[in-house]
Amino acid sequence: MATLSVGQALIIAIWVAIVMSRGIGYATLTLRFSPLMTGLVVGIVTGHITEAMIITAAIQLVYMGAVAPGGALPSEPAIAAAIAVTVAVLGDFTPEKAVAIAVPVGILGSYAYQFRFFLNTFALRILDKYAAEVNDRGIFTSVIIIPIVISFILYVPLVFVALYFGAPVVADFVNSISDGPVIHVLEVVGGGLAALGIAVIMHVIGKKELLLFFFLAYFMSVALKGLEINTVTYAIFGAILAGLYVLFTRRKEPA
Amino acid sequence: MNTEEKRQTPENYPEPITKKDLLKAWSRWWWANEIPHTFDRMVAPSFLFGMMPILKKLYKDKKDLSEAYQRHLLFFNTQAIWGGGTLTGITASLEESRAKAFAEGKEDEAPSPDMINNTKVGLMGALAGIGDAIDSGTVQYIFIAIALPWAMAGSPIGALFPFICFTLVTYLYGYYFVRMGYGLGRNAAKEILAGSRIKTMIDALSVLGLFMMGILAGSYVKVSSSLSFTLSEKEFVLQDILDSILPGLLPLLTVLGVYLYFDKKGFNITRGLLWLTGTLIVLGAIRIL
Repeated sequence: MATLSVGQALIIAIWVAIVMSRGIGYATLTLRFSPLMTGLVVGIVTGHITEAMIITAAIQLVYMGAVAPGGALPSEPAIAAAIAVTVAVLGDFTPEKAVAIAVPVGILGSYAYQFRFFLNTFALRILDKYAAEVNDRGIFTSVIIIPIVISFILYVPLVFVALYFGAPVVADFVNSISDGPVIHVLEVVGGGLAALGIAVIMHVIGKKELLLFFFLAYFMSVALKGLEINTVTYAIFGAILAGLYVLFTRRKEPA
Repeated sequence: MNTEEKRQTPENYPEPITKKDLLKAWSRWWWANEIPHTFDRMVAPSFLFGMMPILKKLYKDKKDLSEAYQRHLLFFNTQAIWGGGTLTGITASLEESRAKAFAEGKEDEAPSPDMINNTKVGLMGALAGIGDAIDSGTVQYIFIAIALPWAMAGSPIGALFPFICFTLVTYLYGYYFVRMGYGLGRNAAKEILAGSRIKTMIDALSVLGLFMMGILAGSYVKVSSSLSFTLSEKEFVLQDILDSILPGLLPLLTVLGVYLYFDKKGFNITRGLLWLTGTLIVLGAIRIL
């Protein structure tokens, strides 16, 4: 059973802290909501980029619906990926097994994010004083530096401990139950959970009359599977349909 | 009045707001955005951080500047691009009118702090709703849907492509909203919430988003039956029978089942997750799936 070095675990933990502190602006939105980049970082750090990407893609399917209205996510895809992809790469797991680990880890991760808001709330009280004094330096320190430091103190030890001490244990445990019915159930869950995220996005887009386009695309992709059309081509079909829809609906409206 | 005279002197007159100032304010807001999120103010500190260079050019009197800083620290929460972009522009325009009215001694024509704050608070929720649905919910997943096959094949492009595209595209149209917000002032919100151009764009993105979800569902949702039974010495495999009726039936029913669950029982993702996981575990354990 492979393990991580201290350095490897630390680099992944720092990456997670950068993402969860939101330290590089709105660029962190998709870093936090999607496991893809975190999975890639794990792949680079562990030297298994190909395996890590394949596993991360399976985790991404479960998290397709992560949209966080009002800033609260029920689960944290980046944290889930940091732990689950590492465990799966160490233990040489199938993507389905990795998904089964990712889901509970992600839910635990969301509590830490709430705790971050809580700590910020106390640390940033002093902003009233700085604003009244027009103290630009103080404002910069409170708005940018202090919250990022708080996130690092919160996330680096958390993720480091989980990876360095937790990952090998989880990997061994999952491997020990790998035979028989448990794995069949894990594979069923892993394969079916992708439906959740897709349904969430359909609900968020929220235009029932446009669901026709979902059905069209669904049956196109099922019926044309043998042709191996790639998604860029499908996206072009989709964009053309979107253009046609706009063109035809606009014409009906009185000018 | 002594302070009046001071405000009207030329060196106290507000400097004009340039495109560069707007870009600077936008970039500062974009950067700070979620970093100082708190329970009591939400992302107001980031909004102040973004507005600071503009407020400095407008209010040359330290007392006025201090008041302006403080009023943008009040509770504020919105989505970064649609809400933050538009409101950065609108607020810049309102603050500019206020500063100018003061400098010209027409204080009764100045937008009041209440009016500025009410504009922000009144619009932040509606704009955030659109922003969450379009940026996080649609645009982000269109890029991810395109890149997912690369990730499945083990390529780093599968992670880099959606990250770079989403970040760039939202930064650019967020800046467009800043410019529009500044140019239209308070009318900008009307343009976004009811204007036909934005509505057309949202419609097109919704069609493309739903289309890509169909492709994803057809390609990656894996639900199949492992049930088989023997009747009068002939073996029936349920999945083969289903495939002869309509290929892809079970994955479609799964997606639609979750969709209808949200529709009928309320939109609670965690509950949906638990129900779906539970159902799949049971059906998998008794070997129907």
